[in-house]
Amino acid sequence: MPFPIVLAAFGIFAAFFFFALVQYRALHRKNKALEKALRGAQGERNLPSLTDKIKLSKHQLETAFDAITDFICAIDRDYKIVRVNKSYAQYVKLPIRDILGKQCFEVFWKQSSPCDNCPAGRTFLRGTQVAKQQFIQRDLYNVRYFDVGTYPVAGSGGATENVIEYIRDVTEEKNIMEQLIRSEKLATIGTMTAGIAHEMINPLSGISGTVANMLQVPEKYGLNQKGIQRVSTLMDATARATMIMKDLLHLSRKEEGTSVLTEINTIIKKAVNAVQLKGLSSAEYKLLLEKTLPKVLCDPVKIEQVIINMVTNAVQSIAEKKERLALEGKEHNGMIIISTQPVDGTVHIDIIDNGMGISEDVKGKIFDPFFTTRAPGEGTGLGLSVCHRIIEEHNGRIVVESNNGLTTFTIIMPVHSPQ
Amino acid sequence: MYSILIVDDETSIRMMLYDYLEDKYKVDSAENAEIGMRMCKERDFDMVISDVNMPGMKGPEFLSEVKKMCPATRTVLITAYNIDNYIRMAREFNITNIIPKTTPFNFLELGSLIDALLTKNIFGLSRYMLPAYNVLGSYCIRSSVEAKQVRETATALLTDTLGTSGNMRLILDEIITNAVYHAPAYPDGTEKYPEYVEVHLQPDEFVYLECGHDTEKYGISITDNKGRLTKEMVLYKIDRQIAGEGILDDSGRGIHMSRLFSDRMIINISPNNKTEIILINYFSHKYRGYKPLYINEL
Repeated sequence: MPFPIVLAAFGIFAAFFFFALVQYRALHRKNKALEKALRGAQGERNLPSLTDKIKLSKHQLETAFDAITDFICAIDRDYKIVRVNKSYAQYVKLPIRDILGKQCFEVFWKQSSPCDNCPAGRTFLRGTQVAKQQFIQRDLYNVRYFDVGTYPVAGSGGATENVIEYIRDVTEEKNIMEQLIRSEKLATIGTMTAGIAHEMINPLSGISGTVANMLQVPEKYGLNQKGIQRVSTLMDATARATMIMKDLLHLSRKEEGTSVLTEINTIIKKAVNAVQLKGLSSAEYKLLLEKTLPKVLCDPVKIEQVIINMVTNAVQSIAEKKERLALEGKEHNGMIIISTQPVDGTVHIDIIDNGMGISEDVKGKIFDPFFTTRAPGEGTGLGLSVCHRIIEEHNGRIVVESNNGLTTFTIIMPVHSPQ
Repeated sequence: MYSILIVDDETSIRMMLYDYLEDKYKVDSAENAEIGMRMCKERDFDMVISDVNMPGMKGPEFLSEVKKMCPATRTVLITAYNIDNYIRMAREFNITNIIPKTTPFNFLELGSLIDALLTKNIFGLSRYMLPAYNVLGSYCIRSSVEAKQVRETATALLTDTLGTSGNMRLILDEIITNAVYHAPAYPDGTEKYPEYVEVHLQPDEFVYLECGHDTEKYGISITDNKGRLTKEMVLYKIDRQIAGEGILDDSGRGIHMSRLFSDRMIINISPNNKTEIILINYFSHKYRGYKPLYINEL
């Protein structure tokens, strides 16, 4: 290659190199300046990046989601759970990762297919919300009531992609509501009856006394055998009428009872003894009494009356079931469990029996005066309303559950807390 | 023969009492207080038994008028209403015996009360029990140590024999404590023995306790030979407790509790001499319910 060509080539190359170098340095300077400007801007005004902003807002939403004590989940069209809050996971007692991907009817409602009348199904179908629908969940020991609402979540195409299920446990509210209605009913009946009952007891006392006199010396009243017989039935009739009147009075009486710091366990033992003394021993008794139960400020005589009443009910219910099953040639081992336990500032007394049970439609009525499932003459139907009244006077309440052959009456009484 | 006047607007009650009492006493009856008053003006009755609620003049007012005319007449109120509501009125009209109209009517109870008041033999548990009365035990309490022992022995005896002692142990605690610590006093009225210390009573201060039963009831009597109770005091204490005003009172709780936790409480008083408190429980439910007021003062 001739030298001048080599030189020219080198010259061109050098020129290019120099140009590139200049260009690079200029770019580098510009870049530095930009970076500096950017850093400066960030440093001076502390702006979060867009991702940080999104992260924060997601965190806020998730915290709110988890802070809600009601149960919330989002499901897809196959009822599979795609999202769930902490309360939901706590209620079903599963870690969140084990819930995701499972179907809601399986996880929450313990069923193998969607619930009848599933509100989520309707929301998927129509794309509109279903406000409030009540569901009942039963297991071996209790019944819980839920209000369920479903809300559509539209995807980018506008179709409903997910549904949010909002589940609220309304069991307590329902119980308290029922109780309010109950006490109001009782209060009205109470005032009305008090006056009537006293006026009735007056002649009843006279009738029974006169009848007693007649039976004492029948010849003085010219009574023959038939007369004696008829008069005796009058005696029974007044006795029955009196029993009703006394129960009614008890229901209506607003009396200042005594309040004594009392060991509930002792009362329970006494009451069970009293029931057994009456010859009501068709069942096996099991007492599971918490030894360290706090004392309760109450009228021991009245509380004993309540427990006697409830245990007697349990015994009668078992006896009835025995009779029924005997007709089918089956045996029934009656069992009554009475347990006590302290629960957050209250004492719970559970009286559980495996007798006839109480159906859902009857449950709302059992505390009503005169409601009875027994044959006429066997009970006045006032026992439980009197119990209810007494416990209410003690600022307590009675809760009833009946499931899978077990009926539980829970008496809840506040524990005495010294001021 | 003692004479008794029965006043009640309820004919069946009047007839019933008449029939029951006519064999033993000379009985008259009236259907209201005005007629009763006229009869009392004509002659003195040994006893007047009156209903509380009647048209016209009410029982308590009527009986207190009768007492004014003839102080020796014994007076008893009967009612189908809750006696607790009448305690204040009883204080006002100085009436100390109110018995409930139970169904079936408790003739034996009325009978023993009438007999005690008329003959002025008020003391002793046996008087208020059926003829088949069975004494289970009787004890003398001369010290605070014995008080505890007797309380335990007596209630255990009842439980062993009858299968129950009700709330007697609880009540005995109060009554015996009262009798041992609060009854003995110096002439100026200050109590001799402070509570919670060991005490040995003087020979004339002993407390006597008897318990027993008949076929329908069981009872305990506590006789206090230095008892200082008066009917005014008892009425005052019961009234305050029933009205809920006595929560902070130093005394009176014992008597109130005894009345509450037993079916019948009878207080017999011989002023400045002795006091007997009798507590009775029925085996059956039929005579429970409204608590009578039984204060017999000689």
